[in-house]
Amino acid sequence: MKLSISSFLLMGFLSAFAIESSLVSNFTFAVSQGPKSGSLWVLSRGDAGSGVSLIQLSNGESKVNVQSINSDYFDHNQSAVQDGVFSDVTAETRRTPSFFASNFGWVLPWFEADSLNSFTQPKGLFFLRTQRVIEEILEEPIVELPSETNLPIHKAIGAFAFDSVKNHLWIAKGVLGLAKYTSDTQSSTPSLDYFVLNTKTNTLDSLKNGASIQKENPSLYSVAIHPTTQELWLASESGLYIEKAPQKITAVQELSKKRVTGLWMGGSPLQIIVESSIREKGKTKSSLWRSYNGSKFKEVVFRDTLSKTHKNAYDDLDYSVSEVAFIGNLAFLAVQTIEGSVSGLLKLDSVGAIPWSHSRQWLYGVEAGVLNNNSILTSVTSFPLDSKTTGLAVSSYGSGVSVSADTGKTWTHILNQSPVSNDLGSIRMIPSVIVATGKTQIAYKLSQDSKVTIEVFSYDMIKVKTIVKNAFREKNAVRSSKPTEDYWDGLDEHGRACAMGIYYIRVQDNHGHVGWGKAMSLGGAKK
Amino acid sequence: MKKLILLCALSFGISLAHKKASLGAFDGFVDRMGTGAHELSRGNTGSADTAALPGAYWNPAILAFKNHFHYSLHAEKRDLDRSGGSLGLDTRIGKRMGIGFAMLYRGDFHFDVINDDDETLGEARPYFTMMHLGFAYRLSRLDAIGISFSMSYDNLDLASYYQDIQLVDAFQSPISFNLGWIRQWNSKWSSSVVIRNLSFSKNLSATWTRNPSVDNSVISTHGFRPKALQVGLGYRSQIFSKPVSAWLEAIDYQIADTLLAFDPDRHVWTARIGFDLEAIPKGRISVGMDGLQFSAGLGYQLDLRIAKKIYPIDLSYALLYESNVQLWSPLSFTIRGNFP
Repeated sequence: MKLSISSFLLMGFLSAFAIESSLVSNFTFAVSQGPKSGSLWVLSRGDAGSGVSLIQLSNGESKVNVQSINSDYFDHNQSAVQDGVFSDVTAETRRTPSFFASNFGWVLPWFEADSLNSFTQPKGLFFLRTQRVIEEILEEPIVELPSETNLPIHKAIGAFAFDSVKNHLWIAKGVLGLAKYTSDTQSSTPSLDYFVLNTKTNTLDSLKNGASIQKENPSLYSVAIHPTTQELWLASESGLYIEKAPQKITAVQELSKKRVTGLWMGGSPLQIIVESSIREKGKTKSSLWRSYNGSKFKEVVFRDTLSKTHKNAYDDLDYSVSEVAFIGNLAFLAVQTIEGSVSGLLKLDSVGAIPWSHSRQWLYGVEAGVLNNNSILTSVTSFPLDSKTTGLAVSSYGSGVSVSADTGKTWTHILNQSPVSNDLGSIRMIPSVIVATGKTQIAYKLSQDSKVTIEVFSYDMIKVKTIVKNAFREKNAVRSSKPTEDYWDGLDEHGRACAMGIYYIRVQDNHGHVGWGKAMSLGGAKK
Repeated sequence: MKKLILLCALSFGISLAHKKASLGAFDGFVDRMGTGAHELSRGNTGSADTAALPGAYWNPAILAFKNHFHYSLHAEKRDLDRSGGSLGLDTRIGKRMGIGFAMLYRGDFHFDVINDDDETLGEARPYFTMMHLGFAYRLSRLDAIGISFSMSYDNLDLASYYQDIQLVDAFQSPISFNLGWIRQWNSKWSSSVVIRNLSFSKNLSATWTRNPSVDNSVISTHGFRPKALQVGLGYRSQIFSKPVSAWLEAIDYQIADTLLAFDPDRHVWTARIGFDLEAIPKGRISVGMDGLQFSAGLGYQLDLRIAKKIYPIDLSYALLYESNVQLWSPLSFTIRGNFP
């Protein structure tokens, strides 16, 4: 079935991409290798809208240096991030899929705003190239859907895979199965075909207008192409399948009947990582599986700092995987807890999850220096930083992107930061308006290593809370504040929500400098 | 003089009382901060002084002692862009009654609205007001009682900076009331009792709910102004033929939404002390302490003659030092007077 596709230029990009020389927003949802060595694509969605940035990096001696950032916005009613990316309780919709394919550029899903200005309507694709962004409306076949899968989000894009030999872009489209997008660069009329799994006949059937989706046509959540065999792998709600012969599928036995919500391949030796996740009795239960170097799929082993194995760690914590990056024999998984706010980078070696000396011993986050502040880690990618180095980059909800040139040991944080004056000359509260139990970061700068005391006062200068007292802070050219400690949560010393109003935050160092910031609390629940 | 020293010692002892709760986390700073450069300069004392203005704020019972139509206008600027002010109107009704209105204002004229993305969206000017309408009745030549009805109106000035959330800017509290009593024992001594922030709700607490957003996207919050018991004492005398006066106030804030709480953790005590010295005829020097906040001030009374009538105008200035945060506030002025 061929469907008409409309395509047009969104904006002239090469020169126009320099509209902003900073990230679109620190709220980033996806990151991917860019068109050149040392470049990164970053997807953001902030207060001002959604957009993308192209960052050019260089590998410095002690850190990764930013050479340039060029950003631009999508139209105000467009986004590549759907509204339920954090609130959804199904693992397959808690990620923002993207894929870098040399022929197509960086591919992202396109969501349109609905009448309530919520980005819930899957519309098509964005192709980001250095010179332009192309929007492609993905026409959907008119088919009869089961009533329980009739919402727009059930037809949202789950993942992409690119067949570089045939120039096919495969798209997991949920209840609509698999879309094959083919675009000949010489031709202006790309084609689009839909397929559904048929678990009765073990075939990949073409989906035509007027057809109906049956029980034997499970929803497809992810797709990947095996780098060695070029076989198409399909993650579905009834298991993991491989297209062994044209339109003939075979189930992977270890994952038979599992609701497979994620599939990632890469690394050397090859790792295939699979996430299964199901919602039962108001709770989401997820498992993480892996085939390492051709072995059968087994649940990922979690070791603690004493090398003791924990088999159900992933299941118990209800993680969902946003994205996976591979470097050598290591896999880095961006994970977050469903119905929680814990997130971080999960690091797998040939045995399993590698712990580090922290209570959340498998998640590398702000405490491990991955992020600049305690924000949700949303995606991860590996990319060629230079001819010798494979870089690792993560995106995050509030802390921009972080890049590592040494496989995650040290990180460089790239985010928009308004300047603050030296020696507590100005204090920025980010954001300056919060509700109780929210968080406002206290940003300041010191010209020398200092001991810092931070206190919160009411309008009439009654002390409400001491945040830190004589805490050591290093001098820093940008900011000296420690994100994990230097914040106010809108509570007083005794844990009560402070009344609605304006509060004054005093920062003092041991060299006689004093700075003041202001925050407004909208109050909180009665205690 | 010994009495003054005694008052000082008592005040110091009370102000050092161990505070086990954060009073600053509750509503009511407009009420706590007082008004009037004269009263501020002598430690924010005024509840036991029949001349304090505006009476509806300091102690509604004072209104019964007013013989004329009195007005007061106060303006101040404190460090960190804090501004304040008040308007007071007091007058006598009949032989035994008085009525008064007071509006107190506090605001911040430079609040940077910064979003999660570290972008400054603009500058807000939030303000917080309290209005009092007081009535007093003179029980005898020496005693009066009064009641003032109060209501707060606050405006956060934030809504225009948030498109995704329909924030509410303006908030209004329900009506609460203050009860006051004052007795002018003789030409030297006066005393007062004021119970502040009572309400018609359960537990007589001034409590209410505020919903910061139209679309309920922001959690509702609980407004609560602690009940306060304010006991005042005044003493007038002379030193070297110069009129002097000393003022003491002890305040107990009950930070619990109960009728009465006996747990000391639910109470915050503070004290205020102040002195006036009429160093030159109609010229006044004042000093005082409100908790750990030091203040000093000057005042002078002008007599304006219009059509053979004398209209007294009192000009006051106060210098404030918020010692716990080392902030000086040198700009506090009040003009007040009456129409005889």
